[in-house]
Amino acid sequence: MKTESASNAAYYEQVEADVFAAMQKPRPIYWVALAISISCFGIGLACWGWQIFSGMHLSGKNNPVGWYMYITDFVFWVGIAHSGTLISAILFLFRARFRKAFNRSAEAMTVIAVMTAGLFPLIHLGRVWYFYWLMPYPNQRLLWVNFKSPLVWDVFAVSTYFTVSAVFFYVGLLPDLAIARRRITGVRQWFYRVLSIGWTGTSKQWSHYEKLYGFLAAFATPLVISVHSVVSWDFAMSVIPGWHTTIFAPYFVAGAIFSGCAMVITLVVPMRKILGIEQYITVDHFESLAKLLLFTSMIVGYAYILEYAMAFYGGNVFETAHFIFRMLGDFRKPYWLMCFCNVLLPLTLFIRKLRRNIAYLFVLSFFVNVGMWLERFIIIVTSLAHDFDPYAWGNPNWSWVAIGITIGSFGMFFTFFLIFVKILPVLSVTELKEERAHETIHI
Amino acid sequence: MKQFIFDDKEPFLAKLRELLAAGTPVERVEVTTPFPVHEALHLLKTPASPLKFFTFTGALGGFCTGFGLTIYTVKTWPMIVGGKPPISLPPFMIIAFELTILLGALGSLLGFLLLARLPAPKQILAPVVADGKFAIFLEEP
Repeated sequence: MKTESASNAAYYEQVEADVFAAMQKPRPIYWVALAISISCFGIGLACWGWQIFSGMHLSGKNNPVGWYMYITDFVFWVGIAHSGTLISAILFLFRARFRKAFNRSAEAMTVIAVMTAGLFPLIHLGRVWYFYWLMPYPNQRLLWVNFKSPLVWDVFAVSTYFTVSAVFFYVGLLPDLAIARRRITGVRQWFYRVLSIGWTGTSKQWSHYEKLYGFLAAFATPLVISVHSVVSWDFAMSVIPGWHTTIFAPYFVAGAIFSGCAMVITLVVPMRKILGIEQYITVDHFESLAKLLLFTSMIVGYAYILEYAMAFYGGNVFETAHFIFRMLGDFRKPYWLMCFCNVLLPLTLFIRKLRRNIAYLFVLSFFVNVGMWLERFIIIVTSLAHDFDPYAWGNPNWSWVAIGITIGSFGMFFTFFLIFVKILPVLSVTELKEERAHETIHI
Repeated sequence: MKQFIFDDKEPFLAKLRELLAAGTPVERVEVTTPFPVHEALHLLKTPASPLKFFTFTGALGGFCTGFGLTIYTVKTWPMIVGGKPPISLPPFMIIAFELTILLGALGSLLGFLLLARLPAPKQILAPVVADGKFAIFLEEP
């Protein structure tokens, strides 16, 4: 499209006005959503408090199922975090233009989801007040952590991931914070003044900034792949049937991106409606995301089939018995529901009409979220419940506390996300302006 | 100090070209833009950012810290785990990899803040001139 310069300036003003209008006084529906989220968060905190006070028997863990809901939640939330980095860093390196509709919300989602995930190893601990023993630090016992343990790799991977994604999020925000400083008045302005650290956008600043953004994207890309690989090695490094397999790393990374894309859809569909920014996040953008969802769903489906192929072709009796148990045993209902949500249902996205139907995508994304939570549950729980020795088989206990904490994690995630949409610009105004200016020249 | 303030890129670039064509030395010109304008960077002969040295130093530091920490700690308390030698490089590589990325990213951020002269207290405390506009500032000779 050919646009005149004068209308460009009007467009800049319009983008700023639209995006910053979303940060004004919230509508009642926002308060309702926030109240529900905070209540759920409160339930989770209360359950955790009760568990710390009373003991780990409340968590439903037992012998043999020593890893249960909390580890499921941990892997689920780390997975959710991944698509944020995918959309912001990997699609940035590939110059995919649809990223700018989602990158800010996806980056915020990453930071919040890693925070949520990071709590779960602590919730899982019997004596949470000793959590700092995970870190390598000089101590009077002269004892160091075991660097050969995948659990220690996890500490490094997840904390690095949190730090780098928070830095990436903040750096991406910096020019937009400078816009916020100008547009928002009153006491709130000071918040943005301090946060924008005096950014003015001189030519030198931009030249360093672009380099920095490129480097961070280049760091975040291998990081995101390594983090979920390390999470998968928590399982794959052991000898339990169903866990001890080399495909876990790529399988988990694809699953993570799959679940994360679904969560982006879940969050952005209501967000664009409530904040009135539908013209910036269009059906075309959603279609691109739906294609990514379909692609990763097929990788996940392939991994599910491959696991069975390896179990039956490998001829290991424990492995074969375990996979029969998965399909037909005590957890068959969640197993088949998982297959339906993650493999069959996303195949409908081959139909263009459904891919472009936002209501359909929203419903589908909900099913995928459920399916991906179940996937982690199936992998973790069924493998432990049914390992080598029939005398050691057993199912976990039902636990309302663990369910309460899981609900609480969703409450925490949505609470922080709702706060984010009101205090920070949900679209990258600077990138939208830059793209418009770019279009004007190259016609 | 002379200022020229524009709402859009094209008139801003036209003025910048005009000023430079009139013989204004680039050292006297400072511009601020709401998004990166590569033509302006080119016209002003902005030197390539030396940020990569910070990134490299950080990443190298992280790599060495990763192997250093794991090997040092395992030397001070040599414990056989899983029948593997105390110094097992493959698992230590993972720690080194994560720390390479962590310190590389933090080194880049630090380098950026130093090179871009941020945080800038003057701009935090007082309103920024021509904030969000395309502006050219000419220093008086």
